[in-house]
Amino acid sequence: MSDPIYTEIIIDEARNAQNEGILENPDISQHDANPMCGDSITLQMKVNDDTISDIKWHGNGCTICKACTSVLTQLIKGKDLTYAKNLKKEEILSELGLEHLIRQSPVRIKCALLSLKTLKLGLYTYLAKKIENSTSFDNLKEEASKLY
Amino acid sequence: MQSSSVSLENIQKDFPILQRTVRDGKPLVYLDNASTTQKPIQVINAISDYYTNHNANIHRAVYALAEEATEAYEATRDKIAKFLNIKNREEVIFVRGTTEGINLVAYAWGRQHIKEGDIIVTTEYEHHSNIVPWQLLTKEKGAKLEYIGVDDNGELLLDQLDSYLKTGKVKLVTFSQMSNVLGTISNTEEIINKCKQAGVKTLIDGAQSVPHMKVDIEKLGCDFFAFSAHKMLGPTGVGILWVRKSVLETMEPFHGGGDMIREVHKYETTWNDLPYKFEAGTPNIADVIGFSAAIDYLTKIGMDTIRKHEIDLTKYALEKMSQIKGITIYGSKDLLKRGGVISFNFHDVHPHDVATIVDRDGIAIRSGHHCAQVLMERLEVAATNRASFYIYNTTADVDKLIKSLEKVAELFKL
Repeated sequence: MSDPIYTEIIIDEARNAQNEGILENPDISQHDANPMCGDSITLQMKVNDDTISDIKWHGNGCTICKACTSVLTQLIKGKDLTYAKNLKKEEILSELGLEHLIRQSPVRIKCALLSLKTLKLGLYTYLAKKIENSTSFDNLKEEASKLY
Repeated sequence: MQSSSVSLENIQKDFPILQRTVRDGKPLVYLDNASTTQKPIQVINAISDYYTNHNANIHRAVYALAEEATEAYEATRDKIAKFLNIKNREEVIFVRGTTEGINLVAYAWGRQHIKEGDIIVTTEYEHHSNIVPWQLLTKEKGAKLEYIGVDDNGELLLDQLDSYLKTGKVKLVTFSQMSNVLGTISNTEEIINKCKQAGVKTLIDGAQSVPHMKVDIEKLGCDFFAFSAHKMLGPTGVGILWVRKSVLETMEPFHGGGDMIREVHKYETTWNDLPYKFEAGTPNIADVIGFSAAIDYLTKIGMDTIRKHEIDLTKYALEKMSQIKGITIYGSKDLLKRGGVISFNFHDVHPHDVATIVDRDGIAIRSGHHCAQVLMERLEVAATNRASFYIYNTTADVDKLIKSLEKVAELFKL
């Protein structure tokens, strides 16, 4: 029996999801949920020299959410932050043959992209904090104050 | 009027939406009736007729249209009183729905009568609308919210109610007459009697019960009762709050505005008579009149006929569903203790995946937490699938559901 969404690839990916678990002392830990359906995940990452050296996720999600989260973690593990920052939804969806969700399922696309949304939220929060703590941020502030 | 001579066999033809197809030509099978029901042509026509021929604001103007509109609106109040065996029409308050009705009680009664240290008791199988208003109130007042637990059969653990009542601090017990997730029918009379003996007020959430079984408010003897029109063939945006007159007289207004006043001066206002004191602003006139047609429709069929139809359908569905591989069905197996609501899960398959697969066959079921996250925690699940029936559903609908659910088991190799 064939199904446009529930292919063997997706069901297998979700059932054998990679990088599921909890990281000790992560540099980035970001939780997000989809209030509509109750999908809820936490992404955790270790960052060394601007590279994501380790990543784990845990939470509750449907088959689409789990499969996409598994793919996302495999795509960015070992990559630098710029790669992760620029990661596009199409890259994740095409790994699973789910590009059609963008056009055909406005509801289920949210399940597919919850992990990407969580990743971006975590990354930007981390980067913002880093800038805030750095001397360059103080320099920027000083520069900005001189503008007025 | 009370006879049950109307056959349910051809009833689907009264519902225009049930004639349509979805998802590339699949006939619609609508099984999300605990969420909202479809509307018969009689209800749609009543709303259309009001706007086409009678539209005017009510209770004030003297011209012909205003009189007609007022008459139709107020006749609905009488019809509801008769439908539920309510003695005083002034106890029937029009609201937007069950949620607004419960919030009205929490605000207009709760803020008057709940003090620091008091206890309000609800249950683990309540809808969020019968939890959150009480959280807001008890937090504001320094009072406490307690829960009657649910056993593995989906029934309330009433000995817990006894121990709460023994504290002497309980002011209100609020619970649904039928669970929107498990379909459990509460031991309503027993709970009310216990509370009466302890001098404690009771609120019944009738959103799931009134559409599916005969309810006699006079006989129940509770103090507050709320339900919604849209779950019983009526329009959205209309609900009823019933409050016992002696209690209603101790309550301050909910919303201030037009229609709820007697006289307004710069700094002082006197209130209108009951129930208008609680109906501020122009109400949802058209939909109240639409609701009137829905009650006529249900009355013609007879609530006992409806209940019997749903017991038969639920029995049929439970027998067939329990044979599907990998399925877990929640709630009581006793058909007399449950309504036509069936919650279920498939092994490790998330409900959203199940709902997506059956949707492709044109079947509408709900998946999610059903606004009952406290119950989801109790069941130790994130979500469930839910199929819920009404008068227009047939065994053929159930057969289609079963076939589609078997597909889920096959795809996921359960």
